[in-house]
Amino acid sequence: MATEFDAASIELLEDGLRKTMLSTSGAELDAALAELGWAEMLSDIPDLAIPLVFRLLGETGSHASVLNDVLLETIGGLPGGTPPMQYAGGGWVVWERTNTDATTETLGGLPLRRVPDGELMRLGEARRALSWWLVGSARAMLALARQHALDRVQFGRPIASFQAIRHKLAETLVAIEGAEATLSLPGTDNPDLTAMLAKAAAGKAALTAAKHCQQVLGGIGFTAEHDLHRHVERVLVLDGLLGSSRELTRKAGAGLRARGSAPRLAHL
Amino acid sequence: MSVPSTAEFRSQLVAWLDDNDLTPPPDDHSLDAHQAQHLRVLSALYDAGWMRYGWPESAGGLGGPEILRAVVGEEIVGRGIDHPGPYSMLEVLVPTMIDYARPELAAEMVPRLLSGRESWCQGFSEPGSGSDLASLTTRAEQRGDDWVINGQKVWTSFAQYATRCVLLTRTGAPGTPNHEAITAFFVDLDTPGITVRPLRTLHGVDEFCEVYFDDVVVPANRMLGKPGDGWRLAMDLLPWERSTCFWQRIAYLYSRFDALIGDVKGLGSAVDTDLGEAYLALHMLRCRSRATQQRLADGQKLGPDTSIDKVLLAGAEQRLFDTARDLLPGVIELDDNQWRTEYLYSRAATIYGGTAEVQRNIIARRLLDLGKE
Repeated sequence: MATEFDAASIELLEDGLRKTMLSTSGAELDAALAELGWAEMLSDIPDLAIPLVFRLLGETGSHASVLNDVLLETIGGLPGGTPPMQYAGGGWVVWERTNTDATTETLGGLPLRRVPDGELMRLGEARRALSWWLVGSARAMLALARQHALDRVQFGRPIASFQAIRHKLAETLVAIEGAEATLSLPGTDNPDLTAMLAKAAAGKAALTAAKHCQQVLGGIGFTAEHDLHRHVERVLVLDGLLGSSRELTRKAGAGLRARGSAPRLAHL
Repeated sequence: MSVPSTAEFRSQLVAWLDDNDLTPPPDDHSLDAHQAQHLRVLSALYDAGWMRYGWPESAGGLGGPEILRAVVGEEIVGRGIDHPGPYSMLEVLVPTMIDYARPELAAEMVPRLLSGRESWCQGFSEPGSGSDLASLTTRAEQRGDDWVINGQKVWTSFAQYATRCVLLTRTGAPGTPNHEAITAFFVDLDTPGITVRPLRTLHGVDEFCEVYFDDVVVPANRMLGKPGDGWRLAMDLLPWERSTCFWQRIAYLYSRFDALIGDVKGLGSAVDTDLGEAYLALHMLRCRSRATQQRLADGQKLGPDTSIDKVLLAGAEQRLFDTARDLLPGVIELDDNQWRTEYLYSRAATIYGGTAEVQRNIIARRLLDLGKE
């Protein structure tokens, strides 16, 4: 696969991926992504493929077990494996590659299963991937809430005209843009810390989006008939995977205390 | 003179700063002392050329990309050599002069400001015009070759030290739409009829002033741009205020965060969450600001998207000093020190330069396209 892409071919790839994700999910999506060349993309153009694929998973609300592949790529593991992943609170999970939608206990139907133990490994690339997913989900929630605010009429006008609603949506965009800025940093200085902060920012942005968008959507957003709940459930689960925003923020603070100063990771 | 790359420029500047000690005198924390230090720093930096990079040669600069100014600001303010407030004035005043003053006036005046021979101020807000700046009522009326100005400005930073003022006035017939009725002037503050009165503030540093204009006569050749250009002038400042100017304020916040970490690192893991949250807010802000300056450097036009930078900056600044208050109990309340001043000043971060609410209104209207309120 060529390593250089022009804007048009990236757009084409993005369209293809989005269509695929909108029509299928889970193990079928894994199969479809394999056919689209996911393995080659991951090894040849990870800096393009990871943000694109994971952001689109968030935006479309679909899921696939591709986080396994990112981890295996990092540790040089055999393709097809399911390495145990850390979960918030000191737990471990594996991300099943087979369809377990009917049996999984995980909120929102992701095929995650608790396992007793796992091995510590470098998580930078996987955390960045999950961060893109969280940012994508947050943007999907914002889009749903924005449309609802424009469509929903109360007191004789769209609720988008009320400042209380507008400011919640504005806050959501600020959180998302802030998180995305941390993800767009090259991270060459200190890739692990940069990825940890990005995951913390993305988790926080996604939880902020869930809270504000749920509120803006009111009653309809609390039903399973509206799509919001899929994204809310998804970000609750993904925030905990490879360390929650809360845990990673505390860990970053511990690092500052040990070092005695704050690393400047972004440079002009 | 050839213009170096950003990294070369920084390392040369750092080497120069190592050889030329500009550390402020230790014990005098008065505003007068800050001002004296500000002028001393500018003078030294100008003579050595550092203050001239990133400004056009037509206005006494040495050329090169604007990002070089952000590098100088980061090193000067981040090292505590100058305070962010006075230093930031350059970034809002000089671009205005370059874009709107007659070229001869800009060429004559800009070097005086950059070299610390003079300070200037910016007369925008009025008692009746804060968030709604376009409603300002300070009036300028033409009389022959002169304009006569009457009215009052407020929140005019460092006016007590300023020799000149970039002033927004109302001109035109009654009923002229607000955004076409504002005209800017470059006014000498020793002109008869001008009174400057510093305001006492919450944080005890009286940098903000009221400025009264009573039949103040200004020559027509001191108009900035044409009649009615004043609103555009005010809007054109924002990209600079929110890029190069923010970058040096962020450098200052990081330096204060380092000081806080130093003060609390012996307190154990109980401080980790608070430190982490402050760091995350600062890091997000710094990443966002970096991206904004790179867009500017790529020739993109900055617009309402910088309201996001502004919200992130105000939030991070208040978070930092809230954290200082939480982790250093009593220090702000019982001891008269720098943390108290900075904590109190940070309360204004969501008010000045466009309130947090105005920013959210802009984001809702312009970035989220939510229609009118």
